[in-house]
Amino acid sequence: MSDARARILARVRAAQRTGFVPIAQPFRAADTEAGLKACATDELLARFLRELTAIGVEPFVEPTAEGVRARVAQLVGDSAVLRWDADCLPYGAGDRLAHAADGASPRDVQAAAVFGVTGCDAAIAETGSLALITGRGKPRAASLLPPTHIAIVRPDQLRQTMGEFFRERAAELAVAANCTFVTGPSRTADIELTLTLGVHGPGRVVVIIGPEE
Amino acid sequence: MSDAAPAGFSARAEQAIADARLQGALDNVTALFGSRRAAAFASLPNADAVRDAARAARLNAVAHLGEYLERFEAKLQGNGARVHWAETPAEANAIIVKIAKDTGCARAVKSKSMVSEETHLNAALEAVGVTPVETDLGEYIVQLANDRPSHIIAPIIHLTRQDVGRVMEQRLRVPYTDDTQRLCATARTRLRGEFLRADMGISGANFGVVDTGTIVLVTNEGNGRMVTTMPRVHVVLMGIEKLVETLADLDACLKVLARSGTGQQLTVYTTMVSGPRRPGDADGPDELHVVLLDNGRSRILAGETAEILGCIRCGACLNVCPVYRNIGGHAYGDTYPGPVGAVVTPGLRGLEPWRDLPHASSLCGACREVCPVRLDIPRMLLALRRDVADARLQPQSLALAMRAFAWTASRPAFYRAASRVMRAWLRVRAHDGWITALPGLARGWTQSRDFRAPAAKTFQERWQERAR
Repeated sequence: MSDARARILARVRAAQRTGFVPIAQPFRAADTEAGLKACATDELLARFLRELTAIGVEPFVEPTAEGVRARVAQLVGDSAVLRWDADCLPYGAGDRLAHAADGASPRDVQAAAVFGVTGCDAAIAETGSLALITGRGKPRAASLLPPTHIAIVRPDQLRQTMGEFFRERAAELAVAANCTFVTGPSRTADIELTLTLGVHGPGRVVVIIGPEE
Repeated sequence: MSDAAPAGFSARAEQAIADARLQGALDNVTALFGSRRAAAFASLPNADAVRDAARAARLNAVAHLGEYLERFEAKLQGNGARVHWAETPAEANAIIVKIAKDTGCARAVKSKSMVSEETHLNAALEAVGVTPVETDLGEYIVQLANDRPSHIIAPIIHLTRQDVGRVMEQRLRVPYTDDTQRLCATARTRLRGEFLRADMGISGANFGVVDTGTIVLVTNEGNGRMVTTMPRVHVVLMGIEKLVETLADLDACLKVLARSGTGQQLTVYTTMVSGPRRPGDADGPDELHVVLLDNGRSRILAGETAEILGCIRCGACLNVCPVYRNIGGHAYGDTYPGPVGAVVTPGLRGLEPWRDLPHASSLCGACREVCPVRLDIPRMLLALRRDVADARLQPQSLALAMRAFAWTASRPAFYRAASRVMRAWLRVRAHDGWITALPGLARGWTQSRDFRAPAAKTFQERWQERAR
């Protein structure tokens, strides 16, 4: 198939010389982000909470680490849990989930979990998104297979925009296998434009924001 | 779908216009998406600058496509992906069939990929015993019903929930229901099993990021994540034009894509795939294959419709198009409907069999207004219409009429005399100042609308009288 490669590239290069693509003015990120001011953490948090509510995520703000742990315990109760490794979860939240399945568990055990508990790698205030970068101890399945996804966020992980996150973490993104932005519960409106939640991914997303550590 | 253009664009359009239920569905979807889009852009600060940035990102990539493809390939390979090149749909399908054989894959799940519809990949895989299951809810129903999608982002707007209920009852042997939540729950259960069992995941790509060698997928349901996470082999089938150079470019494109498509700020899941699972990763595919398909794109790049390669497939132009809003997606006859399809299909598949499509537009410019990357679709439609005329592909009678008009219009005295005769004739035919029916070639003009009868005197005649 390397012949196909050579022929395609030769055709593309010849086509480029015909000059039929309109010239677009190059832009600077500053233009598209003009009007955005650097925000204090509490402003970012307020925006993040507003966006979460708008997209149907349940937010909890817990002033203490113990509060975070208690909230997780209260939400999951006795149900089966699939979680990130304890050392990847902030506020020691993994300690209360000692018997939960993790990335090393068999797939059928993972698939039976009712709650998925994860941290995050950043939270984007402008859109209410959670950025999840794959890596050791952070199974993708935890934010994907269970019907409810609980994400624990530290205030210092808040970023205003996705652009800011890309600029800061470009190197990390280049080596990780996968980065996913989760912006609300799984949804579809394919049938008669009627909104239905949880068609493949979690239909319920809970975000717990803890204190500055 | 066959390889030749289905005959009779007009026949398909007339059929769609006569379908009252389809008309209702089209009204609903286009009005809803239209108003959501407007609201979503209203909430975006500097929307104009962001659209300019997205346009620049896409057109820059198209203008430097050769260099960027090589850089993209090198980055992907550095990330541990295997890159394949296909000139034709048949080659792309053969590559994917071979990957399935080499890796011993028997079960495949697919997230929505328009390019795979372009190549009829499902049929090619079924021929070797690998049945790919569509997992986007709409596409799943389309597959069960042996139907075709009719809108880029809402594939089954032509079906009611009762239709969906009957399809599931017949094909999945579940009790009939027309409750949307329960229909979705059935699909979730069925497809969950498919995700967990599948060896191969097949996806398209919304964007490829050159700098990082990243495939970007956006979905709302989460099937894109499933397909790229659960099976041990992930195959991406993408057109060669889908690149953006940088993550900043990607950011600009993502800001406008969902807003234009569904009116969301961002789709629920934005998945960035930069390779197979890394050592230590708990899950993710062992192998990542990327198939880069040309299939006519390099030919489009060499012509006046090159700009259409900047399209990000949001579907906004469909929702505002007065022609799409009346005839729906199926009438366009191929994978890509609406104004974008009217440009892309003749480019990918050849102008001769698809010569009706550039005329399926009133040239009102609504598509250019809403296009998030500001593609000048009316300009490209005009260029294609000119090509149709230059290649003498239009009906003989039209060519003859046009030549007669050109002859008349370039002889002022004759033109004035002819228009005087025509005016008198039209005024005789008028009833109460309206012309409701014309004979012969002109019949098409009055089939669905009436004309005002011409005034007794032309503007020029009155002007000259005034000057006297």
